[in-house]
Amino acid sequence: MRLILFSALFSGSLLLTTGPLPAQEAVYQAPVGEAPPVAPPLKKGSPLDHLANDPKIAQPVIGYREGHTEGDAPWIAHRLIDPVGGQGWGWVKKNGDDWGSAKWIALQETLGVAVAPHRKLVKADGDLDWEFKFWGKFASYKAYDPRLDEQLPVFIVQGYEVIGPEPPLNIKVGPPNRIDHRPSGASSRDNRPIMTDPGVD
Amino acid sequence: MRLLLAFLSLTLLGTLHASAQSREDIVLTGGPALRFMEHGKGDVSHDVYWFNFVDASVIRLKELKDQAKPDELITWLIYRPAYASRSEEMGLDLLAQLQDKAKTLGVRLVWFNSKEELVAYLNRGLDRDKIKIGDFDYFGHSNKACFLFDYSNTIDTMSIAWLHVKDLKLIDRDIFARDATCKSWGCHSGEMYSQWWKSRFDVPMTGAIGKTDFAHGGLPQLSNSDGKWAE
Repeated sequence: MRLILFSALFSGSLLLTTGPLPAQEAVYQAPVGEAPPVAPPLKKGSPLDHLANDPKIAQPVIGYREGHTEGDAPWIAHRLIDPVGGQGWGWVKKNGDDWGSAKWIALQETLGVAVAPHRKLVKADGDLDWEFKFWGKFASYKAYDPRLDEQLPVFIVQGYEVIGPEPPLNIKVGPPNRIDHRPSGASSRDNRPIMTDPGVD
Repeated sequence: MRLLLAFLSLTLLGTLHASAQSREDIVLTGGPALRFMEHGKGDVSHDVYWFNFVDASVIRLKELKDQAKPDELITWLIYRPAYASRSEEMGLDLLAQLQDKAKTLGVRLVWFNSKEELVAYLNRGLDRDKIKIGDFDYFGHSNKACFLFDYSNTIDTMSIAWLHVKDLKLIDRDIFARDATCKSWGCHSGEMYSQWWKSRFDVPMTGAIGKTDFAHGGLPQLSNSDGKWAE
């Protein structure tokens, strides 16, 4: 009977509770009488702290490495900013393959290990048409770009090395459904982008 | 044998609990962006305040609690991964704070980690033959085609957890009460999502034409003078 009761209580608690985080700190107290609350102080040494406070440079440094870069690089990446306003990062292909096999990707950064190269730059497009060796993998899930109502393959970068600037690639920008002109079905305007800001804050 | 008895007792407990309720009110809450992703974006930087969606949800949950009849169950569905990663970024245990809020309110807290888990709860979390959803509110990022539970939290300016209008077909048609009240408090839902919702479930969903603003601290308001609520 005790086992039954224990099992019932334990199973029920799974629905309602979650375990504590490894590092708990005191509850942040926002300034009294002010709405909305302000962001708390930056956590020292955090990725956000580095992003906010480390000095920025104009261009990537050729040969610079970040993150896990052991062994031969399995991937080569070419940076481009989507001319129609999408949030894709650029192309990634297998090292040794031609660019015709490259995928237009959403870049998932691994905070604390390797983040997008442009995070170190004064301008986010300072690495336009630069190429990189990438270490990492494709995710099993896709990313949704709310600006264009598109889904993109996700590449999780775990390390990179700066190769240098390269000539622009002559391949079409965007995920396969944009290239193939397959309407998503969601937009009353078919292939035309949604371009609504998803933000609310 | 003991395991079997435990399983049977759980099923019995669930049935007894469910049989006492005839209606469920749901508040669905999406997650905030990471400040890392939004750093340097100036006026369009999202979610400086991590509980913007939560505070609005709490206000609505209090309203529902005050209005609830004895046979109504109130459930708070929260997208957990975004609050877990924001917790890590801030060095605060936001998940524990959310649990405390739910406990203080006296509502059921159900975490979900993916669209699939959300859909499973809506379809089968309770016996939908007996317990229909009477009220549904969504607080979170959105565009006209999507609820974005994750936005700029895993990937800059993108989402890895969403419920697209095309995903509504994954949700059973008959989970809502005939007189259900539904509202999306996110941006742009009234421009497309509401129509697909009505078409799928045959109940209206109020949504915004234009953007909504969570920044003032109460229930969200329309951001622009030419915005309006629509079904």
